[in-house]
Amino acid sequence: MTDVLRIDGLSAGYGPLRVIHDLDLVIRPGERLGIVGLNGHGKTTLLYAIAGLTGWQRGSILLNGVQIGRTRSQGPGRYTHQIVRKGLAIMPQGDEIFTGLTVEEHLDSGAFTREAWRDRKARKERVLDLFEPLRKLMKTPVGRLSGGERRMVSIGRGLMTDAKLYLVDEPSLGLAPKIGQSVMEALLALDLKESAMFIAEQNVALLEGRVDRVIGMHAGKLKGEASATLGVGS
Amino acid sequence: MDITFVIINAIVVASIYGLLAVAVSITWSSLGLINLGYGFVFSFAGYCAYVVAENVSEFPAVVAAAGILGGALAGVMICLLVFIPLHDKPNFTTRGMIGTLAISLIGSQALLMYFGPRAKSLPEIFGFWSVKIFGTVLTSDKIGIVVCSIIMLIVVVMWMRGSRRGLEIRAMMMNPHAASIVGIGIRSTGIYVMAMTGAMAGLAAVLLSQTYYIAPFSGLTPLIKGVSIALCGGLGSVSGAVIAAVILGLTEAITSRYLGGQYVLITQFLVIITILIVRPRGIAGLLDKAREQ
Repeated sequence: MTDVLRIDGLSAGYGPLRVIHDLDLVIRPGERLGIVGLNGHGKTTLLYAIAGLTGWQRGSILLNGVQIGRTRSQGPGRYTHQIVRKGLAIMPQGDEIFTGLTVEEHLDSGAFTREAWRDRKARKERVLDLFEPLRKLMKTPVGRLSGGERRMVSIGRGLMTDAKLYLVDEPSLGLAPKIGQSVMEALLALDLKESAMFIAEQNVALLEGRVDRVIGMHAGKLKGEASATLGVGS
Repeated sequence: MDITFVIINAIVVASIYGLLAVAVSITWSSLGLINLGYGFVFSFAGYCAYVVAENVSEFPAVVAAAGILGGALAGVMICLLVFIPLHDKPNFTTRGMIGTLAISLIGSQALLMYFGPRAKSLPEIFGFWSVKIFGTVLTSDKIGIVVCSIIMLIVVVMWMRGSRRGLEIRAMMMNPHAASIVGIGIRSTGIYVMAMTGAMAGLAAVLLSQTYYIAPFSGLTPLIKGVSIALCGGLGSVSGAVIAAVILGLTEAITSRYLGGQYVLITQFLVIITILIVRPRGIAGLLDKAREQ
């Protein structure tokens, strides 16, 4: 079985600034992986590098055995939509929503593959089962929603396709603890089957004991792998 | 009677410029491109309609369709020549403006070389009949122009609201970064957008040729007016562009009725400048709630 994601010797950053140094990472099918680390240590950059949203200088990234992205600088974001179509679902930090579209249109926009578009009704139903509060907001423009609801929309949008790899960036950021917890519950409740999930998070307590692996990230490098049950904080 | 005459003229002018302004507006907000190439799109579509009318058929629907398709084709050409090579280069806004302006001038010059400087006229696609309403005679071309532009605008808005491509374009308008995250490519969206807005400009060209002639540089005035109306309405807003088109259409009709046609551009730009001084973001800032957040 090929690994969902295999990163070898990745160095990436913004322009001349290098944020990630020689990073190796393997994510296997059916796995939930937590990356924890402080602000500014490269969690989001790693995620952006996978999605092609930031340029990278060196290394290789294989998604399901297929090389994605290229080290030659092509302008950040230039090929993101193609990489995404190879099987990524991104739930970015700060939500990146379309303020004028309704919740329903958001979920539709997430169903970008042909199969997903065809049975988008059933998929929307599945997302609504996960995020019950969205049900009565389907016709509301997302610009009017609260932070927690926006997060649900942004995660729900990512769940509309059958991705090989879900990239979740700080799902609890800026949310009230209770809501953050319920968003995390929903992510952990998802049946991954053959795909995998990558969660970048600052709050170790939310991940502890509930994901398959937790890796610390410090100054652009992955530091030590702790099995989730041992607890990383200690 | 005078007033109804002015209002009718204003609506006719507004519907043609409105089409162009909406096209400019949609292109700007979805692709970040201020497309000055509509001058060429406009003339090219006019000549397409002319060639078809001369050689194929003078049947009104065929002529109009030729204009619309010609416009879409010219739009796609601009997309391939300017937008796709330039869209991720630094300082794209300025480069894009210069590139499209160049296409507009080169294209118009090429049309001049091929068809010669003599203006061409299209057959009367709406026929010759008139209706009398409130003591004012409404000629067929005026009714036809207004009805056609409204239908085109409704079709475009419905397509943007209802179809999958429309959803992609609207997503791109609101947040290009997020659009790439959900697998929407800016280059393919660019082709749809430019074809659609080109078709709108093409229809505007056919409609305007009912009153004026088709000449290689006949697209320049509509282009300037379309861009300034789009600016006035608040770039990126369809409703703002429509309102601005009505205001400027009224200005044009009133000026040409009471002051004389030679003052039209002066009063029109005074109005545009006043609107932009009072509301630098254009009229639509009032309406578009989503943009405020």
